[in-house]
Amino acid sequence: MSTVLENLVNQPYKHGFVTEIESDVAPKGLSEDTIRLISAKKNEPEWLLEFRLNAYRHWLTMAEPTWPNVRYPKIDFQNISYYSAPKPKKLKSMDEVDPELLRTFEKLGVPMNERAALAGVAVDVIFDSVSVATTYKQKLAEVGIIFCSISEAVREHPELVRKYLGSVVPTGDNFYAALNSAVFTDGSFCFIPKGVKCPMELSTYFRINTQDSGQFERTLIVAEEGASVSYLEGCTAPKFDTNQLHAAVVELVALDRADIKYSTVQNWYAGDEEGRGGIYNFVTKRGLCKGVNSKISWTQVETGSAITWKYPSCVLLGDNSIGEFYSVALTNHYQQADTGTKMIHIGKNTRSTIISKGISAGRSNNSYRGLVRIGPKAEGARNYSQCDSMLIGSKCGANTFPYIQVHNSTAKVEHEATTSKIGEDQLFYFQSRGIGNEEAVSMIINGFCKEVFQQLPMEFAVEATKLLGLKLEGSVG
Amino acid sequence: MSLTTTHPYIEALLKGSRDLPQSPAGWLDARRAQALERANALTVPTTRDEEWRFTDITPLTRIHFQPAQSVTRLALSDIGCFIVPEATVRLVFVDGIFVPELSAVPDSPAGVQVSTLAEAAEARSALLEKHLARHVAFENNLFAALNTSYLRDGALVTTGKNQACAAPVHLLFVATQKETAAYPRCLVIAEPGAECTVIEDFVSLEDGAYFNNAVTEMVVGAGARVRHVRLQRESLNAFHIAHCAVTLDKDASYLSNTVTLGARISRYDLNVAQNGEGAEMRIDGLALISGRQLADTHTLMAHARPNGRSVQVHKTIVDGAAHAVFNGKVFVHEGAQLTDSSQESRNLLLSGRAHIDTKPQLEIFADDVKCSHGATVGQLDAEQLFYLRSRGLSDASARNLLTYAFGAEIIDRIPVRSLLERLERTVLEQTQAAEPETRS
Amino acid sequence: MINANATVLLEVRGLRATVAGVEILKGIDLTVRAGEAHAIMGPNGSGKSTFAKALAGHPAYEVTSGEVLLEGKDLFALSPEERARAGVFLGFQYPVEIPGVSNSGFLRLAYNTVQGARGRDELDPLEFDDFVREKMKLLDMDPGFLDRSVNDGFSGGEKKRNEILQMALLEPKLAILDETDSGLDIDALRVVANGVNRLLTPANAVVLVTHYQRLLNYIVPDYVHVMEGGRIIKTGGKELALELETRGYDWVLEEYKGKTGAEV
Repeated sequence: MSTVLENLVNQPYKHGFVTEIESDVAPKGLSEDTIRLISAKKNEPEWLLEFRLNAYRHWLTMAEPTWPNVRYPKIDFQNISYYSAPKPKKLKSMDEVDPELLRTFEKLGVPMNERAALAGVAVDVIFDSVSVATTYKQKLAEVGIIFCSISEAVREHPELVRKYLGSVVPTGDNFYAALNSAVFTDGSFCFIPKGVKCPMELSTYFRINTQDSGQFERTLIVAEEGASVSYLEGCTAPKFDTNQLHAAVVELVALDRADIKYSTVQNWYAGDEEGRGGIYNFVTKRGLCKGVNSKISWTQVETGSAITWKYPSCVLLGDNSIGEFYSVALTNHYQQADTGTKMIHIGKNTRSTIISKGISAGRSNNSYRGLVRIGPKAEGARNYSQCDSMLIGSKCGANTFPYIQVHNSTAKVEHEATTSKIGEDQLFYFQSRGIGNEEAVSMIINGFCKEVFQQLPMEFAVEATKLLGLKLEGSVG
Repeated sequence: MSLTTTHPYIEALLKGSRDLPQSPAGWLDARRAQALERANALTVPTTRDEEWRFTDITPLTRIHFQPAQSVTRLALSDIGCFIVPEATVRLVFVDGIFVPELSAVPDSPAGVQVSTLAEAAEARSALLEKHLARHVAFENNLFAALNTSYLRDGALVTTGKNQACAAPVHLLFVATQKETAAYPRCLVIAEPGAECTVIEDFVSLEDGAYFNNAVTEMVVGAGARVRHVRLQRESLNAFHIAHCAVTLDKDASYLSNTVTLGARISRYDLNVAQNGEGAEMRIDGLALISGRQLADTHTLMAHARPNGRSVQVHKTIVDGAAHAVFNGKVFVHEGAQLTDSSQESRNLLLSGRAHIDTKPQLEIFADDVKCSHGATVGQLDAEQLFYLRSRGLSDASARNLLTYAFGAEIIDRIPVRSLLERLERTVLEQTQAAEPETRS
Repeated sequence: MINANATVLLEVRGLRATVAGVEILKGIDLTVRAGEAHAIMGPNGSGKSTFAKALAGHPAYEVTSGEVLLEGKDLFALSPEERARAGVFLGFQYPVEIPGVSNSGFLRLAYNTVQGARGRDELDPLEFDDFVREKMKLLDMDPGFLDRSVNDGFSGGEKKRNEILQMALLEPKLAILDETDSGLDIDALRVVANGVNRLLTPANAVVLVTHYQRLLNYIVPDYVHVMEGGRIIKTGGKELALELETRGYDWVLEEYKGKTGAEV
């Protein structure tokens, strides 16, 4: 029976194609000169160059973290190209976008152009490191929302970028965040002014195209007093044999009564059945609930990458603020995932919820690592965490590492974790009701993940369900 | 072996170890020498070490503890209050030194053989060589290495094949001198089918700072059953660091009750390795601390074979500015199918300055297992409080009752009646004395 | 038993109360005299249980206006335990499980605390054991209950019997029994109801909060009150309960709207 299950989860990567577009690639290697080059290519102001150089100098003093439960050969940071952009061309409308590029998005199923309109999604497309098209900007601008690439934001709204960039994830926060701060090439910027409810879901698609080019996006979302926004991020990457580094930084800032919902479906290339190739996904995502009654909610469906190292976190500074983390992480073959969250309760009556579902198959290793910290002033803080693991096959691993630190006696923290498997008796029960193994596994897994999928916006929920289905699709023996 | 790189503090601690007389067993001297070499090579753990992240032992390193130079003369009446009536066999160590006059070793205790390690090193050298310092690894563990460097005496408890000893064996460690270090050592061997109960009891007649660094090894044979009661009631200025390693053969069972009441800083590492199919372990712990106490408990329940069962409940009641740490790992190796494991970490904070770090962990490499863990940190349940008050109990007595009940759940499972009752009283007194700061 | 000259035990005037800022009780008036049995009925969410818990002093319920007098004394000036000592007893709809606290120890502590507050003699553990065993016979309870933790792992029926046992021990002047009949099979219902009946005297009173008429077959009320939207909208005799059983609550509501023009 277990071989049936193993076959089920083995299926080829469907987004593995390379787009042939001429790229403007910087020579490999990292130095202050590389950073000056990136900054110059992007015509950045002096303060941003300083920001980058400070980060770089800090990074030089730091060591790569060894505590995650992941193993990989040493990364040669001098053997990576830190800048890759399609040959610059002024784009005035969608018609000017390279048709090859549009076909790429079509294959990926990115809702864009008319399809975007139908789906009601505005897409800020990041192709390698440069934003090439932004839709719906006009419509959003009418209500005062700024949604553009971070490069454009640096040019058009430097005061906002300067105010918030690095305010949640300081340049020296950790090894990869420092690296990102030094060399980030592009990313998304989103600003929702006071009292505005964003009328549509905002969406970005990231895609790594050039072999050996590191991807260092930077995302910054700011919701002012009473504002709200739902932001979707989707990631795919084509197939290459060498591992590629992806070290993004995402910062969210929610002021009084603001509400930010950030959803990710990550399906970077995970390597082949032998564990060759695949993305190293070392990401720092953090939200700051700065104001009272603010709320930040992270939802992620992680199915890709050779190695994932990622802890979308909430710093609950404002009184009564709320942090949420809903996660599904599926690993197969030789994939390794060390993912989870941090909920840092600082303000009074802050609340957080963590729901994490890990599914391990093949020879993969899937770890949940979470920190719940209740500070001494967080009167009445509450946390509830639930971490469930499911193992498919006997060669994989599922780990749960919650850290609970409580410094306030009025706080209440609850953590629960369970481990289960898809039992033969369950499959038999389905079979006896006429349901095949493949469908049964898919149903069981979707049931297992339901609490997380319910958090996703409709378009993503469908995609995520399909994605898990694809991952688990295969020959039933 | 180079001494030039030795940490000065470790060197100071090790000063006495080189003066130890030679053992009649050559292998023991060799093992001690290995440990000494490792102790010299290791460093004092700091909060930068993941295993010591929440436990800062700087206060321990401020005093150069030396083994007691003289034996404190004690009468039986001095330790009268610690005597466990059910135990027919008792070994008493004062500041780490065996005192035969205070001990009770009947000529023919039913089922169980108890002696000092020094005696056994001559009479039962082969058995000792097989197990002593074989289960608690000292290669990368400073405190185990220190203890082993000083290995000269201790307790040996063996239970023969299919023998059962109903009466518990009481190993009493009494501290009487400040600024001394003691290195208690125990080896418990239960042959296949044997059954015994061992009480390790750390008490104090001295209020000052002293250091107890204990190592216990237990080998539980096929189908054997060992009950282990561990009572740490050191002085409130003492330092207590202890390791216990338990190895379980097929269908063996190990039941442990650990109660932590004393010491300024205490750290207990309990590693239970299930190396035979169908073995079971039940591990209960309670730490009741206040003032500036720090109590750190690390446990590892390692399932290497199929059909193992483990159940753990660890509770802490933390008052004053005390700090409780719990780190419990359940490890299920590949192939350990049908493991059934549950772990709970329950914590009660009674004061605004108290704090808790808890980290229950699951590492699972087998798919057909049932594993769960849970952790809670909080206060007394508001509905329970109201229920009791609606029956006429005052707020304070309702709180005391619930706090007591929280701890009593662990105490009540201790298999030695007199100890259970004594501890119930202790917990009752402590929870009554603790007037909670928070009010609803 | 109605006796217009009997002492007024409970006087509720214009009671309003909120839970988490939402007003649940919107002005309740009720007078209970010694010797009387009252039933409060009403659909789910009408405020019945809130009323019961507010009288016992549950901290989640905030009284915003009105007054409640127990034998002429302000009930809201008292803490929950002082109310218990003064003679108010709440039989919980969902009795709380308290693992680790032995039932016998708990019962003795509650009994002695209340006895002490009333200036009566306390019982030592042995005397209490005899005393409580007698009371348990009334309720057909196994003495094994004494050795278990309070309500821990009890079935629904066992929990309710344990509540009535506490009522028997604490001898309240005013017993408020919140949905004591829910979750009981017919035999258990009879035992519990008989237990309550035996505890009723001309000097005390009971308020039964219930959903169903069936409990009232066993404990016959002198008054039946219908509660809806946080108010008592109709009061009648025991026959009202039967009428509610056959006709439901809607007609009462219509009648009330017609009479007062109020939206409920």
